[in-house]
Amino acid sequence: MTIKVSRRVFGAGVFAAGVVGTSRGSFAQGTPKRGGTLVATWGGGEPQACYVPAGGGSSPTFSSSKLFERLARRKMDGAFEGVLAESWKPSADFKTYTVKIRKGVKFHDGKDMTVDDVVYSVAEIWKKYAVASALTDFAGIESPDADTVVFKYNNPTPEFFFASTLCSPVAYIVPKHVYAGSDPVTNPANNAPIATGPWKFKEWVRGSHFEYVKNENYWKKDEPYLDRLIIRYVRDPAGRAAAMEAGDIHIGVFNPVAPPDIKRLTGTGKFVATPKGYEEAVWSTTLECNMRNPVFAKREVRQAMFHAVNREFIAKTVYYGYARPGTSPIYSPNKEFYTADTFKTGFDPKKAAALLDAAGFPKKADGKRFTLNLLSAGWFQENGKVGAYVKQALEDVGVGINLTVPDRPSSIKRIYTDYDFDLAISNQANPSEPVPSTTQYFTTDGIMKGVPFRNASGYSNPDVDKLVASIKIETDPAKRKALVVEFQKIIAQEAPLLPLVELESITLASTKVQNHSNDPNFLAASWGDLWLAS
Amino acid sequence: MAGELVSPTPALRGSARRTAALRLLRRRLIQAVPLMLGVVIINFCLIQMAPGSFLELMTAENQVSDPTTIALLRKTYGLDDPVWMQLLKYIWALLHFDFGFSYRQNMPVIQAIWIHLPATVLLMVSSIALAISIGVAAGVVASMKVRTFWDSLVSVAAMFFYAAPSFWLGIMMIVLFSVKLGWLPVGGMMKIGGNGGVLDILHHLILPTLALGLFYAAIYTRVMRSSMLEVAQLDFVRTARAKGLSRNKVTIHHVLRNALLPVVTILGVQMGTVLAGSVVIESVFSWPGVGSLLFDSVSSRNYPVVLGIMVLGSLVVIAANIAVDLIYMWLDPRIEIR
Repeated sequence: MTIKVSRRVFGAGVFAAGVVGTSRGSFAQGTPKRGGTLVATWGGGEPQACYVPAGGGSSPTFSSSKLFERLARRKMDGAFEGVLAESWKPSADFKTYTVKIRKGVKFHDGKDMTVDDVVYSVAEIWKKYAVASALTDFAGIESPDADTVVFKYNNPTPEFFFASTLCSPVAYIVPKHVYAGSDPVTNPANNAPIATGPWKFKEWVRGSHFEYVKNENYWKKDEPYLDRLIIRYVRDPAGRAAAMEAGDIHIGVFNPVAPPDIKRLTGTGKFVATPKGYEEAVWSTTLECNMRNPVFAKREVRQAMFHAVNREFIAKTVYYGYARPGTSPIYSPNKEFYTADTFKTGFDPKKAAALLDAAGFPKKADGKRFTLNLLSAGWFQENGKVGAYVKQALEDVGVGINLTVPDRPSSIKRIYTDYDFDLAISNQANPSEPVPSTTQYFTTDGIMKGVPFRNASGYSNPDVDKLVASIKIETDPAKRKALVVEFQKIIAQEAPLLPLVELESITLASTKVQNHSNDPNFLAASWGDLWLAS
Repeated sequence: MAGELVSPTPALRGSARRTAALRLLRRRLIQAVPLMLGVVIINFCLIQMAPGSFLELMTAENQVSDPTTIALLRKTYGLDDPVWMQLLKYIWALLHFDFGFSYRQNMPVIQAIWIHLPATVLLMVSSIALAISIGVAAGVVASMKVRTFWDSLVSVAAMFFYAAPSFWLGIMMIVLFSVKLGWLPVGGMMKIGGNGGVLDILHHLILPTLALGLFYAAIYTRVMRSSMLEVAQLDFVRTARAKGLSRNKVTIHHVLRNALLPVVTILGVQMGTVLAGSVVIESVFSWPGVGSLLFDSVSSRNYPVVLGIMVLGSLVVIAANIAVDLIYMWLDPRIEIR
């Protein structure tokens, strides 16, 4: 039995447009109804802790984001909105940001949230764990008065970058009185958090579910509409589908069930499926070249790897249509920075062969030019299938491939610690702000042995480093966008790592559930505004 | 670990039987020590051979990149020690009932296992009880109605449940009894938000028990049937019939008791596989047992927990085999086990 986490165990692509397309649009009707219990699940397993200060992956982000709150959030229209912050304003030189903190917010244990909690969270949790890579220019935080904190940076910091940092999935405001003086990673409160959000932690039945109850003292007086929120963990996608059909689970985020079940459940008229709510966490499947292998010294060889692969085929066959070919390190849903005007490495096996010939790698007597170790990271089931196809596609142009699909710990070790691969099929989830989540895969300072989801290819280009350094400090939005476009053009042509496909994630919900999928990172939203229709 | 059976000797009676049983128990417990040691060493070495470590995953999940911190963590968890030293330390800790600390659950291993253990034990016990009840009853019926419709029916059913993968069977039962008929819950151990009463738990236990137990019931049915037919041909059964005892009396008092021995043997041997089977069933039914903990621990290279479960699992198997030996002696007092 396969119990591997499946990112998308999707069925026939023919219904992708139909099923998902018909359910686009508003998921809120009428006046919110109060009361009731919402049972939710997601397409993965139980978290290691309810809250992991460093993030720890999507599972603890899902469980903790209903309890904790951030200073700000991004709305579906792209605008930023204060949550625990009422407003923020940069200084003239963009080196400091003055943030007004919301008044009247209480933690679940009844204590007031103050600027001290904000200062502690930023200095001790964000800087050290949660968003450390985004705070490399961070110089400190002060609280000049009871309602204000001032973020200080060593360099000018763009407004979009700053606001995006405030919205980072685990950039939470934690209670100083609970965490100060302890090791945040092992603090027992991580398994029974005290926070400010619309939901209060009640119980964690390990192996089964979290139970959260309404925060009666929530600062948004109308929310939450529901009385209780249950996050249930069902490891098997078929089990999730059955639980949803039986009415035990109302909503599943991040690909909770197999595609035939999406079709079947939406066909009953009792469920809707939507790709909305993942705009700030767009996933991709990537192909990465290990620059430590001299074969990849010439960029034509790297380009040939991508020309040999039919991305449309992967999107349609492996992902059943729930994917689209990737073209740039910035993904196409990114309205701020994406450009389609980049170097094209589309499917062209003849060109791939010609590039390899020109690079000095003609086919030998055995029909092979050279042989590579292709590692397909086994944390998603589909990666193995993509690996099997890429192996075949590269062998068609004379590149011998030894394919391995190790499990998650082995993949992390081999890709990010041992650099034990020539080509790696992996995955990324990127928000709109490219620094550092996207750029750290390509900059020299992203080469951090043993740290996952950074620059494992070893690609180092002074021009890219300089460009990214400029992107970090350019405060004029138009100029900044031009720099990011330039970055995309260089990377698309250099091809050390590029997305093979951009993935489409799905939420499946009962038609009773209202107001869902209304946040660009819905999995990590607070869900205080969800309600159940009669 | 079921012992060697020697030729039947005159049946022991009263205190002699108790003495023999205690002697057997003492001998088995002594034998269990090197066995457990072997289990610990083999499992420890196997885990060491697996690529990737919990430290790598831990630092990955916590985005720890500072070499000093990583070095400190390595020292804290004793990963800088040679493997043999780590093994010796682990064995020494085990001798003090210290199973180590689970970084992932942020609690002692024994506590992490203890949270999940009752659910697994409940599932195992109920499944075995179901398997024995159905297996013995169906085997007896098939043997008494040999080469009739009932025998064929039992054989076909046994073949079906033996051949059907338990996870598939579980999903099919969920579809039928939970989704279509709405009689039984889809998964979990109790109603969320409920009081977790006995009836509620039993209600949730039915489907996982059937999915896990019917496979073993099929095995016991087949074994019981052939054992019953074999014993029924023996001289003492013929003698009993010649004495004029009724068919039911002969079957229950003479054939059944002797035919049970192979079933008891299999029961002891299969205790470990029932535990392994529960890993799959727990996944299908979201049963919050050790299986889900083991799966997560292997995936996260949470070695202390994996080792802890292996050691406890081995203890269960050893205990079950000792119990089997004792049941042997009870079923057939002539049997002496060495």
